[in-house]
Amino acid sequence: MPRVLIVAYGNPLRSDDGVGWVVADELHRRLASPEVEVVRLQQLLPEVAESVSRVETAIFVDASRDGDPGDIRCQPVAAPPARIQFSHQLSPAEVLGLASQLYGATPQALCVTLAGECFEHGEGLSEKVAARLPLLAAAAEQLTKKILAGPLASSLPSQEDEAAS
Amino acid sequence: MGEAVKQGRTIVIDPVTRIEGHSKITLHLDEDGAVEEARFHVTQFRGFEKFCEGRPFYEMPSLMARICGICPVSHLIASAKACDALLAVTIPPTAEKLRRIFGLAQVVQSHALSLFHLSSPDLLLGMDADPAKSNLFGVAEENPELARDGIRLRQFGQEIIERLGGKRIHPAWIVPGGVSEPLTEVNRDAILSAIPDALGIVERTLEWFKGRMENFREEIASFGNFPTMFMGIVKQDNGLTFYDGKIRIIDAAGKVVADALDPKRYFDYIGEKVEPWSYMKSTYYKPVGFPDGIYRVGPLARLNVADRCGTPRADQELAEFHELQRTAVLSSFHYHHARLVEMLYCVERMEQLLNDSEILSQRVRAVARPNALEGVGACEAPRGTLFHHYKIDEQGLIRWCNLVIATGHNNLAMNRSILQVAKHFVRGNHLTPGMLNRVEAVIRTYDPCLSCSTHALGEMALRIELLSPSGELLDEVARG
Repeated sequence: MPRVLIVAYGNPLRSDDGVGWVVADELHRRLASPEVEVVRLQQLLPEVAESVSRVETAIFVDASRDGDPGDIRCQPVAAPPARIQFSHQLSPAEVLGLASQLYGATPQALCVTLAGECFEHGEGLSEKVAARLPLLAAAAEQLTKKILAGPLASSLPSQEDEAAS
Repeated sequence: MGEAVKQGRTIVIDPVTRIEGHSKITLHLDEDGAVEEARFHVTQFRGFEKFCEGRPFYEMPSLMARICGICPVSHLIASAKACDALLAVTIPPTAEKLRRIFGLAQVVQSHALSLFHLSSPDLLLGMDADPAKSNLFGVAEENPELARDGIRLRQFGQEIIERLGGKRIHPAWIVPGGVSEPLTEVNRDAILSAIPDALGIVERTLEWFKGRMENFREEIASFGNFPTMFMGIVKQDNGLTFYDGKIRIIDAAGKVVADALDPKRYFDYIGEKVEPWSYMKSTYYKPVGFPDGIYRVGPLARLNVADRCGTPRADQELAEFHELQRTAVLSSFHYHHARLVEMLYCVERMEQLLNDSEILSQRVRAVARPNALEGVGACEAPRGTLFHHYKIDEQGLIRWCNLVIATGHNNLAMNRSILQVAKHFVRGNHLTPGMLNRVEAVIRTYDPCLSCSTHALGEMALRIELLSPSGELLDEVARG
């Protein structure tokens, strides 16, 4: 049974939005272990809540539109907002909210993002994002190993922007 | 709910929420504020028919699957069947059964998305519920078992697709001539072991839904409740099918209008019309003409045209469904009910197919070069009948492509349904969220997939209207 679930999501046909998928491939190779599960998704759907409810920690990896291209951020995922207009795509916080509401699970959760530069149609990453990819993979890898090795609370960042940017 | 803006004598709901894709609705009011016209505008644009020209035909299944993230399997099946026709091969029986299972799994996950994730807030909390709570979170709060069931049932369908196709979205397992890999014993047993749970979910949701119908009398009476024809593919014995068969059309009285039509000759009896206010084409039954040749497809139509399901529990439910009305079941509100009966059939039918003695056969693909320059593939997608029609040159490159998509078949009926609901519920001088939610909810009954249905390029007319605050047309620019 995995203890850590890494959910890398985005659209790999939208240039930098696919950065999560590239990192997922790398993490899958580096973190091969029954304690870690890595999944690649185009978007966060309600089903993810059930998967998240079964682990101790969920790490969401995504491209971000916020910040300067190449910025890497690691933030704890907070409680869901009070008002949610759900179509069929959720935010990490909403996934956590559903996991709690439906399955009574309150796993720790983090969101690791890399700010993208280009979100137009295309399968490649922009230069700035591609250059930061090794750092993003290393940050997610270290974070996962820390979580697996130590007490959960001490391994999680308490403020925004924990990872190097 | 989408934002509603009143512009003079026009109410615009933009975007329409809890559907697949992007659209808006305009309601045109008379001087007393009563609705006199309504339109469903599909505002997104794709163009697949055009940009696949010049591609090798064997790429088509994978390319076409990209049309949609919800029903890629239907496009894979219709496309592969069109390619089978280009190869002029009969695919191995096991390949056909595996394709059927693949398609049934997709119907389950797609119907579950529509019913549980998109429409259950209306069905559970009511049409007048606080818009802030009318979503999956509101359902989770009020009835967590229902929300969990929806999640589990979608997972069930998605996991089968993943086990067969290697991934959940855009699997490329179905290929011209059959499927690329046989089913393993491990995967067969894993799917079979999940079936009792899935059956239990569908059974209890059906009972729950039937118990709720009493609360929606007014909606049943006014949600697309008007006479139209209904069209669907049926088996030779007029049984329900999603994979292959003949086209059957019935009228509102339930009488057969056309039977045993060849899906490969769809162009003989289905016409397509472009409207200036939408990127989605409207289809009609040619012998009757436009717009009187209006018909509906999808779950409601399939159950109306089918005499039987061919699985024990679904047959019982179909008989009960047919009792809803002596004629064909006309109200589009019953699309929800039909979706549940179909999910029951899908789970039962998958179990039958997985227990077939040949299902683990290694012979799953026929290999050939192109032997025909034109091919049509048809199947029943979750939302209705789907046609893929290709023409290739001697090198096997696509020279022409036409896609007739389920949501397009329902375009005329969706527009008429919006008008019916709006006339019944909306008063322009006093708008309430419940009124406007009903206008959106009638669209949700059809579960339109707009990503699928906006693929034509170069033939779409466009009209831009400039309206005065009082709703008068001041200027107009038209193309096409």
